[in-house]
Amino acid sequence: MTRIYRLADTNIEVSSLYNDVHTLMRGYLTESAPDFDIGMSDEDIIFEREKSEASGMGGMPDSYYETLAVLRKISERMPRYGSFLFHGSAIAVDGEAYIFTAASGVGKSTHARLWREYLKDRAFMVNDDKPFIRPGNTPLVYGSPWDGKHRLSRNVSVPVKAIALLGRSEKNYVEPISRGEALPVLIRQTYRPFDPKALEITLGLLYDLDVKFYRLYCNMEPDAAYVSYNAMKG
Amino acid sequence: MKYRIMKLKSGFISHITDKEAILVPTSSTEFSGVVRGNKTFGAILELLKDDTDEEKIIAALGKRFDAPEELIASDVRRALSELARVGAIEE
Repeated sequence: MTRIYRLADTNIEVSSLYNDVHTLMRGYLTESAPDFDIGMSDEDIIFEREKSEASGMGGMPDSYYETLAVLRKISERMPRYGSFLFHGSAIAVDGEAYIFTAASGVGKSTHARLWREYLKDRAFMVNDDKPFIRPGNTPLVYGSPWDGKHRLSRNVSVPVKAIALLGRSEKNYVEPISRGEALPVLIRQTYRPFDPKALEITLGLLYDLDVKFYRLYCNMEPDAAYVSYNAMKG
Repeated sequence: MKYRIMKLKSGFISHITDKEAILVPTSSTEFSGVVRGNKTFGAILELLKDDTDEEKIIAALGKRFDAPEELIASDVRRALSELARVGAIEE
């Protein structure tokens, strides 16, 4: 099956062996001409299965591993079109996006949920796991179909106000940091292509990312959202 | 003394600015961290894009930076040791 999708303002023709990936991506269909195309093979699926099994996440059907393979192939190509895949939880408030990033299990999604509970209708999820980011004069974050276990995302783009490196703490506090201080974490949380040229472009994009950066230490109580939002809203 | 010929592995990408240099691996490498350094480190990474050896790197940096040779040699050895540790050098 072959369909064309628009992710992060880039049109991608996806040819797959199974239909599940098209169900996953259906909210991003476009009729425009593709900027590039990707195809799937058994080797792509085996690669994802072995990688998942190695990290204790095996036992899923091949159609699921194909969705991961599609994401990987898209993410390999996106830097050449000016955007990159990021691991984080992106929430929009009053038209501006805040992205929380940390290793899995630290509480990105939980913190984003606390923001939604605090800010109510003013806030919505752009993407709860793997948004795309496009640096530039107005850095943008985009929703994607790969949106975490709670399936929270919208097919939108929102200007990025800030990126917060999240850490757990009993007490809630926020400190502004420079891009240089944030960079090691940003690199770790960004998709690192296999293709050296694509990685080189990705690093250039990260150095071009002109947003505010914070280190955010918080617990999982409602007050965490109050403290972090009011410190970061500027 | 014979120095070993070495080069930066193709799976590692350096990004060098006026202030700092970083070395990042592609997803094909085992190491998944980031190595950061100053502009001397950046100069070493630049030289390692082609076949070179420790002696040549020290000599090249000696011409470029106004610093005692021993200090440069020490910086170079430390950088090469770190690069070898993360598997970024092929010999």
